[in-house]
Amino acid sequence: MLSLELRATAIPSAIPTIRMVAADLAARADFDLDSIDDLRMAADDLCSMLVRIAAGNAVLRCRFTVRPERIEVAAEVDVDDGVDALPTGSFGWRILECLADRVSAVSLPAEPGRGGRVRITLMKDAMPAQQL
Amino acid sequence: MTPSVSSVGTEQQGEYAHLAPLQRRYGELAADDPQRQRLREQLISGYLPVAEHIARRFAGRGEPLEDLVQIATVGLINAVDRFEPDRGSDFFSFAVPTITGEVRRYFRDHGWSTRVPRRLKDLHIAIRGTLAELSQQLGRAPRPSEIADRLGLPLSEVIEGLQAGEAYRSASLDEMLGSGDGNATLGEFIGGLDTELDLIDDREALRPLLAELAPRERTIIALRFFRHLTQTQIAEQVGISQMHVSRVLRQTLAFLHERMAGPD
Repeated sequence: MLSLELRATAIPSAIPTIRMVAADLAARADFDLDSIDDLRMAADDLCSMLVRIAAGNAVLRCRFTVRPERIEVAAEVDVDDGVDALPTGSFGWRILECLADRVSAVSLPAEPGRGGRVRITLMKDAMPAQQL
Repeated sequence: MTPSVSSVGTEQQGEYAHLAPLQRRYGELAADDPQRQRLREQLISGYLPVAEHIARRFAGRGEPLEDLVQIATVGLINAVDRFEPDRGSDFFSFAVPTITGEVRRYFRDHGWSTRVPRRLKDLHIAIRGTLAELSQQLGRAPRPSEIADRLGLPLSEVIEGLQAGEAYRSASLDEMLGSGDGNATLGEFIGGLDTELDLIDDREALRPLLAELAPRERTIIALRFFRHLTQTQIAEQVGISQMHVSRVLRQTLAFLHERMAGPD
């Protein structure tokens, strides 16, 4: 198992780098090219969603866990108080569900001194079911 | 030296002062005057260091300097041809934005296709060459290891080549759109418009947009997101390459994202 964590300023220009890391990990894990591309797009959508709702100066934390059978991407940002709507009804979310094999979002309650946190986790299996 | 030149850098003026009279003459000659051509060449080669200087400012973005110099030179030629001395501005303040604009346009329009070194480009072409056959044999997209076996190359090189392909396909999203002051990239305009979308019924909003798509784009989106086919399967059905499917998906999603955001 390989685990890798990126911390980036939660701004759009960080996304291409994260997207590239996602694709690179999938390629090195010998995922097939479709799955590599899916994961790349999924990472992009996931981060875009979080960047969009991130509080000012928030850090986007993105943790990749690579296992032979699947890659997990868990990303989270701090959000301002009152932002509790998970982006699960959005167009981007719908795409994410299609690109990844499993997606989930959680909203973590605010801690003293800061607002809440939103975390989205996606899993991409090494070989999508319909290809077996 | 004319007073009109005094607003630009004095070093540049000094260096190029001898070209100003040529510039004026060039502007005065009739379009079909045989002397014009010679003057034009003199002006272009005289101002060439300006183009080179600007080209160098754009180096380090993955484009060979000599290519950039060529593009900048095109900009310079345009500047020489279009400059109107009697407008009261000096050549530099006209030429610099013209040349810079040409290089920027190049990055925006074509930069993505040549942002990778030649070796990687060749590698990428070799990889692409194996995809159709391997996909057909396997009934799915190949893995990097399978491509490496086919090409007799180390896996690490194939992975590098695939990354080159990614730069080839998507770097344009990350390109700077404006002058660099605003730091806006195209990606910033199309990414992450989702929170607003929570407020509306996506399905309803999406329907008319899907209707706006070209038939092939609509088909590809439908196959991918509603029938859950893989890119390789779609490629087979639609009769284009997987690379192409990937590109269409990316562009169409970007379009939909953008349109879903609406004019707010």
